[in-house]
Amino acid sequence: MTRATQTVSLLLLLSSLYLAAYLQLIPFPAKIQDDIIPVLPFWLLVSFGAYLLANLGWGVLTFRDTEDAYKELLTEIDEAKRDLRARGVDVD
Amino acid sequence: MLAQLAGLFMLLLATAVFVYYTIWTLFMPFVEEDHALHSLFPPRVWAIRIPVILILIGIGVVGSFLSMVMIKSGNKKRAKLAEKQGKKVN
Repeated sequence: MTRATQTVSLLLLLSSLYLAAYLQLIPFPAKIQDDIIPVLPFWLLVSFGAYLLANLGWGVLTFRDTEDAYKELLTEIDEAKRDLRARGVDVD
Repeated sequence: MLAQLAGLFMLLLATAVFVYYTIWTLFMPFVEEDHALHSLFPPRVWAIRIPVILILIGIGVVGSFLSMVMIKSGNKKRAKLAEKQGKKVN
């Protein structure tokens, strides 16, 4: 089973469970049915967005900068650009 | 230094948004109507409207960026083609 198949089947399972809850095929107390279940997808979306932002922020916060590797990379890029231009490739 | 600050800000913002939104959508329905906590939150309809509005704005931004890039690349191609035609005719 590929990773894609796995993800799609998991998504399908969760969506069908949610749909069953939304269409009242599964009995829930009235308060939960009316107020919580319709809001769950939005809550999931907002939480996912918050998780992504937090992940980004954490990565930026704990990033290890290396000055020398940066300079080396710049010179390598220049070299590659010169080389490609010499061979007639349209660079930047 | 600036990057560290930006990262910390993103982290705190994400946590704050998550906590506020979770309390708003999942906990407030169970708090009685006359409790003081309700004064900290707008009416619950906005808990749906705000994400929808943000999603629509996001799609608009992504769509416009995509169109701009495609138009630019189309113009470049057309300019290159015109150049080639010009050279051939000459």
